[in-house]
Amino acid sequence: MARYFAIFKNGLWNENPIFKLIIGLCPTLAVTNTVVNGFAMGMATGFVLISSEIVISLIKKFIPNDVRIPSFILIIVTFVTFTDYFLGAFFPEIADALALFIPLIVVNCLILGRQEAFASRNPTRRAIFDAVGMTVGFTWVLVVLSAIRELFGFGTLAGVDIFGAGYTNMIIMILPGGAFLTLGVLVGVLNLLDRKVGSDNG
Amino acid sequence: MAEKNNSIARLIITLTIIGALGALFLAGVYEWTIPHILEHEARARERAIMEVLPEVDYYEEATHNDRIFYEGYDENDNFVGVAVSLRGGGYAGEIEIMIGSDPYAREIINIFILNHQETPGLGARITEEEFRENFENAPFSELEIVRRTPEEPQEIEAIAGATMSVEAVKNIVSRVGDVISEHYGGGS
Repeated sequence: MARYFAIFKNGLWNENPIFKLIIGLCPTLAVTNTVVNGFAMGMATGFVLISSEIVISLIKKFIPNDVRIPSFILIIVTFVTFTDYFLGAFFPEIADALALFIPLIVVNCLILGRQEAFASRNPTRRAIFDAVGMTVGFTWVLVVLSAIRELFGFGTLAGVDIFGAGYTNMIIMILPGGAFLTLGVLVGVLNLLDRKVGSDNG
Repeated sequence: MAEKNNSIARLIITLTIIGALGALFLAGVYEWTIPHILEHEARARERAIMEVLPEVDYYEEATHNDRIFYEGYDENDNFVGVAVSLRGGGYAGEIEIMIGSDPYAREIINIFILNHQETPGLGARITEEEFRENFENAPFSELEIVRRTPEEPQEIEAIAGATMSVEAVKNIVSRVGDVISEHYGGGS
């Protein structure tokens, strides 16, 4: 069990997709202007990641090596399309807010990367722990990032007013520029923290 | 050589099977979700029509040249106005606007943004009541954007930092006169 937990924990920090592997940055930069959007994007990506890691780890023996990438893409596309229709039918507000970034989950290299690096070489049970760990790791960074941007950009957190009516919104924080600024500082701070904790332990 | 053919056949078969199973699954998903999606769209459209023709009790659809006009009537079956949805390019994507108008008074009653991809906090402010109020009772003609409180009915007050979005809305709404006149008479 400890072994599985180690796989899960891997995605939270040691191999965190955003601030360690630096992959999956397109949605990270694009949709994190409110906490709700950041969280929804994390969940949608997580669903696709978990489902495709399960399917690919199950059928990996039948996929010839030469066509493994196209096969992974076909499977990922299927789950992304499912997510698109599902959100459109049952969560139309979220579907409107994320709009074209849902179909773009297909090209999120976090997903393809984990199939190639993990699901296609490990048994299903381990793949599930990897996918869930990566999902939580991806989502928490998205939420922190969007919380910072929403707080300064709109003066709110998850729609709740924090700074009051007198606050002048920092428009830059909602625009792509704010995403780059915040992400850069956040990745720097987290890696600094990581180095500090690492040197204390070592 | 035989082995090579064999392996190519296997590649094709593998991809075909995965593609076919995926398509089958998605066909099921489509059948399951599409009624809900259409319902949301219909509800959003109905809400928009009620919003742009405030006194309307019910409406009828009329199609002219593949364009659907929603003709609104009040409780006493009196004709109130026509709503029509027009679209055009915005700053970040297409903007779709439901426009309610009185074809005989030749003026706009109100507008409602159905779909847009404008920047949150800037261009997205075109959906706010305060901006939409600009279009109430605006005439069927080329509208004008001004950077002060509007004085004339055809004047639209700009939103700071959202020039392109406001321009796009103005251009789309300015077309409504021609579209309506084509089927409801009038014209100068």
